[in-house]
Amino acid sequence: MSSISIETLKEWSKLGHRNSFGESIILLAKERKDVVVVSPDLTTTARLVNFEKEFPDRLFNVGIAEQNMIGFTAGLAREGLMPFAVSIAAFAPMRCAEQMRSMLGYMKLNARVVGIEAGCRFGPLGNTHFAMDDIAVMRSIPNFTVICPADPHEIYKTVFAVAEHEGPVHIRLTGAPGFPLLYPDDFEYEIGKAIEYRPGKDVAIIATGSVLWEGIRAADILEKKGLSVRVIDMHTVKPIDAEMLESVFAENAIIVTVEEHSIIGGLGSAVAEYKAGFKDAPKQIMCGLGDSFRKIGNYEFQMKDNGLVAEDIAAKVERSL
Amino acid sequence: MEYQLKMDKKKLISEIRDKTELMRRDSIEMGYAAGKLGAHFGPALSCLDIVATLYFGVMNHGSENPEMPERDRFVLSKGHACLAYYAALIETGYIPRDMIPQFKGNNSILCGHPSMNMQYGIEVSTGSLGSGFPIACGMAMAAKYKGEAHKVYCIVGDGECNEGIVWEAAINATKFKLNNLIVIVDINGFQLSGTTSKVMPINLNAFWKAAGWKVWHIEDGNDVEEVLQMLTEVKNFASEKPHVILTKTVKGKGISFMENNLKFHAAPINDEQYQQAIEDLNKAEAKRRAQ
Repeated sequence: MSSISIETLKEWSKLGHRNSFGESIILLAKERKDVVVVSPDLTTTARLVNFEKEFPDRLFNVGIAEQNMIGFTAGLAREGLMPFAVSIAAFAPMRCAEQMRSMLGYMKLNARVVGIEAGCRFGPLGNTHFAMDDIAVMRSIPNFTVICPADPHEIYKTVFAVAEHEGPVHIRLTGAPGFPLLYPDDFEYEIGKAIEYRPGKDVAIIATGSVLWEGIRAADILEKKGLSVRVIDMHTVKPIDAEMLESVFAENAIIVTVEEHSIIGGLGSAVAEYKAGFKDAPKQIMCGLGDSFRKIGNYEFQMKDNGLVAEDIAAKVERSL
Repeated sequence: MEYQLKMDKKKLISEIRDKTELMRRDSIEMGYAAGKLGAHFGPALSCLDIVATLYFGVMNHGSENPEMPERDRFVLSKGHACLAYYAALIETGYIPRDMIPQFKGNNSILCGHPSMNMQYGIEVSTGSLGSGFPIACGMAMAAKYKGEAHKVYCIVGDGECNEGIVWEAAINATKFKLNNLIVIVDINGFQLSGTTSKVMPINLNAFWKAAGWKVWHIEDGNDVEEVLQMLTEVKNFASEKPHVILTKTVKGKGISFMENNLKFHAAPINDEQYQQAIEDLNKAEAKRRAQ
C-alpha cells in the first residue's frame, strides 16, 4: 500500500466521502486485478465514473436491484474475486439484508458492501433515504465486520485493509463535502483496533464515522472547562475493540458514545452490551439518532436536531456531572 | 464409429439410470433417518433425474479433487431439494455413504438445506429461495472475467420463480451475456400451498424469453435420455444468450404415494410408508431389468 499525499487528502476532504472512496478504490484496483465493483446503477452518485473509465470491464452495473447486486457479488466472491458492492446505505443493507445474511455472512465470502451517505445527510430527501439502522442490521449478522471510517485518510486505509481481510465486510461511509481531515499524517490502522485519538482521564468520548470530528470538538469544549477528555476513534464497530473498552472502563469515569446512527443497535449499543458484563463500569451517555423517523432538513439541521454537534455533546456531559 | 457412439450413449444412459435408482434409495434412506423431522421428498424426487444426469453424464468434476479449478459448477437454487443433491454427492464419492443417517441430525454436515462445504462437494449454501440463481450468475461472470471455460449449472424451482430476485438476476445474466450459464427450471407444478397455476400463475416461457434467454424445453424431465440429450445439445450450442431449460417433471417421482401428492412436499414417512417406498423402488428396478 502506497502512502497518499497530503494534497490528495485535502482534495478528498473538500469533495466528501464518496470521492474519497471512489478514488481509493481506483488505487486499490491498480494494485490488485481481483478487485471489481458492483453497482446498482449508482456509478455517478457513488463517484465511480473514474473507476469505470479506468477499468470498464471491472465495473458491473447490475441495474436498480440491490438484492441481485448481493447475489451477483456473492458469486464473484465465491470464485475468488474481491468484489466491492457499492450502494446507498439506506438501501444496502436494509433492502438486501437477507441476501447479505444468507449469502455473504453464511458463506463467509470475501465480499465488501459499501454504504454511501449513511446517517442523515440525505435529510432533505426524506426518511426513505436515511440510513439510521444499517449498523444494527449488519452487527447482527455473524461473520460480518462493520467499519465506519472517520475521514478521507481512514477511508483510504480501510479500502486497502479490507482487501487483505478474510470474510465479509460492511463499510459505512459518512461525511459531507468539506468533512475535516482528521489524520493528515500517516497513521497505524488495523481493522478491529480502535485508535486513541487523544488521551484523557475523566471522560471518554468514543465515536465512529465522520462524527468523530464533533467528538473531538466536544472534547475541546470540555477541556476548556477543566475536564480531561479522552477521544477514541472506534472505526470498527464489529468486532468491537474489547481491549480498548476495558481500558476505558478502568480509566474513565464517563463514556460518551457518538454516532450518526440510531441509538438502538449501533456503536452505543455495542459498547453497552460489552459493558453489561462489568461490575461498576462507567456511566454511558449515548449520542445518536433518536428512535423516530426524522424531520426533513439539511445536514446541519439534522445534526443539530439530533444533538450530534459538539456543543450538544458537551452539554450532555456537563449535565451528567 | 457412429454405431459405436450410439452404443456408448446407450451405455451412458443406462449407467445414469442405475445411479438414479441408487440416488432414490439414498434419498428415501436419508429422509427416513430424519424421523419425525421429515424431508422435502417431493421436490427432490422431481429433479433427481436431472441432478443425476448432470453429475454422471454432463459435468466435468471429480470427488478426488472437489476444488479442481476447471470443474463445472453446480448450484441447487431450490435448496430444499437437497436429498437429490446429497444423493448425487454420495454416489459420486464426495459424501461418505455412512453419513446417510446424519441427515438433519444435530451438528450434521447434511442440513435440511445445503450449506457450502467443498470437502463434500457442496458448492454454495442455498435454501432461501431465489438465492442460488443470482450467485450462479456471479459465478458465471467471474468465469468470464477470468477467462475460464467451465460452465455453471443451476436448478431453479418453478415455485421459486415467484421470487422477484429471480427476474432481477435473469435480466442481469442477459445483459452480461452469461452464455456459460445453464439454468434448468424444475417444473413439477406444485409449491407449498397448492399447484403453481393456482398459487401464482406465471407464463415461464414468456417470462424467460422476455428476459432475453435462449429457452429450451424438456417434456419429461424424469427421462434420463431426454435430459441427457438436451443438456448435451445446450452445452455445445453457441449463443450469446444464457440458457434456460424449462423441464416438466413429476413431483415425488418414483414413489407411488408421493407422486403429485402435495402432502409429501415436506413430510416425515412412517415405517409402513418407508416399506412401501422401498417396495416401489424394488418393483421399478425389477421392471427395468426385465425390459
